[in-house]
Amino acid sequence: MISVGMILIGLLQAFAILAIAPLFSGFSRVLRAKMHNRRGPSIFQNYRDLAKLMKRQEVVSRQAGWVFRITPFVTMAAMLLVATIIPIFTIQSPFGWVGDLILVVYLYALSRFFFSLSGLDTGNTFGGIGAKRELLISVLIEPVILLVLFVMALLAGSTNLGTISTKIASGQIPYYTSVWLGMLAFAFATFVEMGKLPFDLAEAEQELQEGPLAEFSGQSLALMKWGIYLKQIVLVSLFLAVFLPFGSAAMTSSGVPTLLAILLGALIFFLKVGIFYFVIAVLENAMARVRFLKASAATWAAMGAAILSFVFYLANV
Amino acid sequence: MDAVQLLLLAVLLFGVGAVASLLLNKLSRAARVTAGLIGAIASGVGLVAVVRAMIGSPSSLELSAPLPFGHFNLQMDGLSTLMVGLICALGLAVSIYSISYLAQYPNRNVGVLGFFTNLFMAMMLLVVTVANAFYFLIFWEMMTLASYFLVTFESEKQESIQAGYLYMLVAHAGTALIMLSFFVLYSSAGSFDFAAFRQGQLSPALRNLVFLLAFFGFGAKAGIAPLHIWLPRAHPAAPSPVSALLSGVMIKTALYGILRICVDILGASVLWWGLLVLFFGVLSAVLGVFFAVAERDIKRILAYSSVENVGIILLGIGTGMIGLAINLPAVALLGFLAALYHTLNHSFFKGLLFLGAGSLDYRLHTRNLNEMGGLGRLMPWTGLTFLVGALAISAIPPFNGFVSEWFTYQSFFAASRAEGDFIVRVVLPLCAVILSLVGALAVVVAIKMYGGAFTGPARSDRASQAKEVPGSMLTGMGILAIGCIALGIGAPLIAPYLANVVTDVLNVPALSVANGLSVYPIDTGVAVLSTPLIAILLLGLLAVPLIVVAIYGGYRAGRRVVADPWACGYGYSSQMSISASSFDRPIVGTFSWIYLLRSIAQKPWGTIAGWAKRSKDTVARAEPILESVIRQPTTRAVDYLGQHIQALQMGDIRMYCLYIVLTLIILLIAIFH
Repeated sequence: MISVGMILIGLLQAFAILAIAPLFSGFSRVLRAKMHNRRGPSIFQNYRDLAKLMKRQEVVSRQAGWVFRITPFVTMAAMLLVATIIPIFTIQSPFGWVGDLILVVYLYALSRFFFSLSGLDTGNTFGGIGAKRELLISVLIEPVILLVLFVMALLAGSTNLGTISTKIASGQIPYYTSVWLGMLAFAFATFVEMGKLPFDLAEAEQELQEGPLAEFSGQSLALMKWGIYLKQIVLVSLFLAVFLPFGSAAMTSSGVPTLLAILLGALIFFLKVGIFYFVIAVLENAMARVRFLKASAATWAAMGAAILSFVFYLANV
Repeated sequence: MDAVQLLLLAVLLFGVGAVASLLLNKLSRAARVTAGLIGAIASGVGLVAVVRAMIGSPSSLELSAPLPFGHFNLQMDGLSTLMVGLICALGLAVSIYSISYLAQYPNRNVGVLGFFTNLFMAMMLLVVTVANAFYFLIFWEMMTLASYFLVTFESEKQESIQAGYLYMLVAHAGTALIMLSFFVLYSSAGSFDFAAFRQGQLSPALRNLVFLLAFFGFGAKAGIAPLHIWLPRAHPAAPSPVSALLSGVMIKTALYGILRICVDILGASVLWWGLLVLFFGVLSAVLGVFFAVAERDIKRILAYSSVENVGIILLGIGTGMIGLAINLPAVALLGFLAALYHTLNHSFFKGLLFLGAGSLDYRLHTRNLNEMGGLGRLMPWTGLTFLVGALAISAIPPFNGFVSEWFTYQSFFAASRAEGDFIVRVVLPLCAVILSLVGALAVVVAIKMYGGAFTGPARSDRASQAKEVPGSMLTGMGILAIGCIALGIGAPLIAPYLANVVTDVLNVPALSVANGLSVYPIDTGVAVLSTPLIAILLLGLLAVPLIVVAIYGGYRAGRRVVADPWACGYGYSSQMSISASSFDRPIVGTFSWIYLLRSIAQKPWGTIAGWAKRSKDTVARAEPILESVIRQPTTRAVDYLGQHIQALQMGDIRMYCLYIVLTLIILLIAIFH
């Protein structure tokens, strides 16, 4: 199963989405500005921000230990590994021989572990609050993600993400009611994990997703921000790989897709991501903020959709 | 010498260590060094025995029995060998660790502690290898008694005495059930040998009875909810190396008992047995982890987390039993494999974390996380090993906890796909959801422990003056930390060995679960997992951000490490950081219905509240109400019974003669009837 071609594709797609992640984040900033009737920043503003931060001096809290130092590197490495496993440009999982969807879910936990710990490590109040809120969200959302993925895996007969993508794309798993419900629940979970309203306001410091960032500065802040952009697009690509894998490059008899198919797959993928970000931006800007502790009411609804999806799977509809 | 002889040698060495330590009791330092060193050597010999048993064939040894009934035979089949390995690995680390740790008790009977620790180890080794129910019970009871004296070692503390009492109570209730189950088995087999038990013919009703008795009997010792009430009290009360042994291995001997009786001897051919085990697995995992989140005493957190992990192991065992019942050997293999793997892993990371908590206690003389903080800079090696344990217990890849949870998920998946039984298809995916919830909460627990103790500002004077612990303690923790990493990355070597243990116990043909660098759930089409590659890739991908930094000239712009954390422009105080007990508030608040939160009117305001209802201050406190509900009536009932039975013991010798005569008459009637 291990072929040099697929290794190259895996690395290529990880680096490609790492490179393009700030662009999509910039895209959502532009959309938000337009909806607020502002002119807004350029779509490339995030790249400029990152470049500027990379040159800045770092100021570190006296309390911070080495967990704080390594977090930007560990979170980015974990997300890059996830990006090699998810089928993004191709229909097969490029690094499918490394792990399956359970590994992907637990690699998110790896990134979250260090992210939250870095918030505590600085001794900053907002960092700590951000960390504990981030963890509550994960406790509420992770079972939803796992149940939906488990049902899809049962339909496909495998927990390998590539197999699930292939079977959805080729129509071997038709769009049952259970798939639609799962898609709904999973889209909601992706929306929440991306750090969007009504739970989170990713632009505001002292808030959930950016809470632990309060003490980061200079190069570490640049890497952390970049890591968050990457995490958002990786979450979207997991959703697309499981539920809407159409257009991704199919396998040829040699075990590796043709170059043209990969390029086409990449193009279609970026289009789909663009549409997803657009929909999310519209939803987010049409929403009001709710109190954080009310979040569980909304996530129970998602859990309900996921359980319904499972029930419909059992009933074979 | 073959494996069993080596094992016997290890047991004798533990005995020597125990006696030597007791004799040297007056010389505190000599006692702890002797007990620790001989304990470490004995554990080493035990590990050699394990290696011998792994490369050789299963061996057994029959000794001339000191008592007429029952053969005293020891045997090391696959399951016993695994348990011996686990006990000795932890025994080695704990023995080395305790050499320095016990230095904090200069005026206590350290020799007595060494005596009971070594005795406890020896008894555990005998419990998991003896193949006769009668001797099993004797060793089981001696193990319980030894551990009772270890729990109550700090006997000036009311808390320890109460914990010991409760432990005794629950353990003996459990032993009584185990005895009953053995007597039922004996009645059909006509012998106390496990081999004869296997041949015995039981009616279905009696089989069910034996299963229930054994499951709840051993379950009390394993700490399954709701029989876990003693565990969060007794484990923290003992000195930390002993807590590591209690949580790391003693509760595993109970799981061994469940596997030996319910699976090996009874065959687990009834579907509802597996479902019952799953139910208690879910209950233990969920309650354990939720109460762990709400605690702030680090050793109580770890004890609750043991309840959780026993739950996860039971999920594997239950799935395995379901696999046997619906006749799917693949499901059975995966379930038991996951359970054994998690048993092994839990011993290592829970032992490591208890030793880490001991190191904190050693320097800070507190177990309250709110009085720690910032120790990552002052105790870097303790911090690093604790972090390894925290990552492993959170099931973070590629550490060992992840691999066993992965196999647990895969066993659920394999069982859910089985056509046929509808209940199984409904229940097992829901178990997967529960496991993911428990996994997410376990991350919170681990972050709370590591974050509370090692990160942020120091929250007490002692925390700001702490020093690194002595070398022998670091060595003990280091052994276990390396074990956690090796059991994770070495999964392709460990999994096939455990699969062989399972197929050996179940008598089913061997199935392949690993090849090259990867493990898989029998069918590679379902999933593949390669922990060595995950480790390599994660390390390799770290290069990407490093290269980005290098392109921008490294840290040319420099770092300034002078500032206090940002506090909106106000002066920073360490009180502003998030303490461990505020850390869990969002979760305790969101799931308040699990904790049965009560609002308690605080003292001065409680009285005022009577006549000025508005001026009252209420606090919500998470308390394990379930335990109070079960514990208080039970202990009260036992106390009551005890006092009334005492009436028999009146100290009048004529009454005692009357008792003897009465007993004789009753026996005579019984015989002639």
